[in-house]
Amino acid sequence: MTVPKQQRTSGSRTETRRRGSPRGSKWTPYLFLAPAAIFILVFQVVPLVQEIFLSFTRTSLLNPTHSTWVGLDNFTRIFGDEDFRRTLLTTFIYVIVCVVGAVGSGLAVALLLNKGFRGRGWARALVTIPWAAPGIAVALIATWMLNPDYGIVNRFLDAVGLGVPGGAILDSPTYALPAILVTTIWQLFPFTSVVLLSALQSVPPDLTEAATVDGAGRWWTFRAVTWQVIKPTIGLLAILMTIWSLRRFELIWLMTKGGPVGATETLVIDLYSQAFDSKQLGSAAAIGMVGVIVSLIVVAGSRFVARAAEREAR
Amino acid sequence: MRPLRIGLTLRILGVLVVLGVAVFPLYWMIVTALSSNSDLFAAKARLVPDFSHFGVFIDALAEGKALGWLRNSLVIAAGTTALSIALGIPLGYALSRFSFWGKAVVTVLLLFTQMLPEALMVVPLFSLFRRFGLLDSLGGLILVNSAFVLPIVALILKGAIDGIPRALEESARVDGARPLTVLTRINVPLIAPSIAATAVIAFFHAWNEYVFAVTFIFTPGKQPASVGIANFIGELGTPIQTVMAVAFMFTLPAVVFYLFAQRHVVAGMTAGAVKG
Repeated sequence: MTVPKQQRTSGSRTETRRRGSPRGSKWTPYLFLAPAAIFILVFQVVPLVQEIFLSFTRTSLLNPTHSTWVGLDNFTRIFGDEDFRRTLLTTFIYVIVCVVGAVGSGLAVALLLNKGFRGRGWARALVTIPWAAPGIAVALIATWMLNPDYGIVNRFLDAVGLGVPGGAILDSPTYALPAILVTTIWQLFPFTSVVLLSALQSVPPDLTEAATVDGAGRWWTFRAVTWQVIKPTIGLLAILMTIWSLRRFELIWLMTKGGPVGATETLVIDLYSQAFDSKQLGSAAAIGMVGVIVSLIVVAGSRFVARAAEREAR
Repeated sequence: MRPLRIGLTLRILGVLVVLGVAVFPLYWMIVTALSSNSDLFAAKARLVPDFSHFGVFIDALAEGKALGWLRNSLVIAAGTTALSIALGIPLGYALSRFSFWGKAVVTVLLLFTQMLPEALMVVPLFSLFRRFGLLDSLGGLILVNSAFVLPIVALILKGAIDGIPRALEESARVDGARPLTVLTRINVPLIAPSIAATAVIAFFHAWNEYVFAVTFIFTPGKQPASVGIANFIGELGTPIQTVMAVAFMFTLPAVVFYLFAQRHVVAGMTAGAVKG
């Protein structure tokens, strides 16, 4: 920490400006930026453009340099396909339940941890564990816990009389998606709760006190004071959870590969099996583009709504 | 006093339930790793770890494959951390301190890349890697992982630099320091905590990464632990105790580091992901 503090005399800033001290040339920012920009260009932008191009072609994984331009054919075909419409529906269910589940459970946990008690620091730290655990390890332990014969989940469900017949939760078209949703939310709730906890701690205690003194009930105080403060954080988390859920691959792929019979197939899973099992790079790219566009609409839409709300508030 | 007591008891009960839910799967990993076969397949599950089987962890490493996987993961993760921070600091600095043509485009681009699924990018990157001979190499994975984690690293570091008073830099400039010197001598030491947090994010982004590793690596000896462990799922040859022992050793570093860096990481992720 070698900060030349002694030179921070008053007015030094304006004086240096006047002297036109060397801020570098106008190319300086570009020099700082260039290495990272080239990197992102090569590994993100160029592949994305290629992927956009692929979505308008028929291209086989076995001969990827040979593409036939088919225009919007891939898009009209996938939207005409019943399986794809089901994939879209599954994706929406997955995303919405993830967002509501992760934000809701995060808020509940944050409210629990918001009051001081002995050992709160420890509780807060331990709660982070699911989020810190690698997705691969989570998929592995979840699969083992859901094992039809020896998994602890089935043993427990059988013991309380709620056992699934045969116990094969991940092989059941009814229970596979809920099982994956529970696993996903288990992994996400630490993140949402820690973020919401820091938002809750910025709620001015005077305000809640004043409301209580005025005779407001707990629920009313929560709605009128706490909720107003944490609303932007909730919105932000909802967007983040949406984007993340539309991207999530490993957990679903390793637990069910999108099965049984497509019950857990989201857009990303569908695109991966289109590319590597059916070897159709064109329709895989088209499916991927649908996901990216949905993401974009959600982000742009939420910004629009937030701005409109801001204008109304004024 | 009485209603307060009841409220407190309920709260503590709630916290205990939440902690149980949060910790149980990892606890179960340890219990499974330390179980004997008869425990595993008995009619009644064993619920506490049997530490007399602790040798399973050493055996899992001594067997050879797992140690190699973890070493490959370490190389990829360390390389990704170094590269993404080396690129992220100057990018964050440019975004924080300068106004220039194209700045808005760069910022929007950084946010936009957060929406791109790895599974979508894996096809074009595969052909790119083939052209440049980057397939089947740990270096190739370092490059692609750095590119994917770079936006978040840069946005977090931009936010950190935003928090440093410009006056500190101006005074160094009076002494005739060049922009790069100002960055490395003045800013970098001051944002050290944020650099540490981004290091944790970058390291474990690469440590956990699966899609690129499974697609770009062919030689079993070059596989990282994420791929090795994923291959265990649905495979019957390896005893489940060994599988869980390896998975636990893979998980533990991530959990420990995140516990230490938690506050910075969470603050950085939310700030970086949205505000830009």
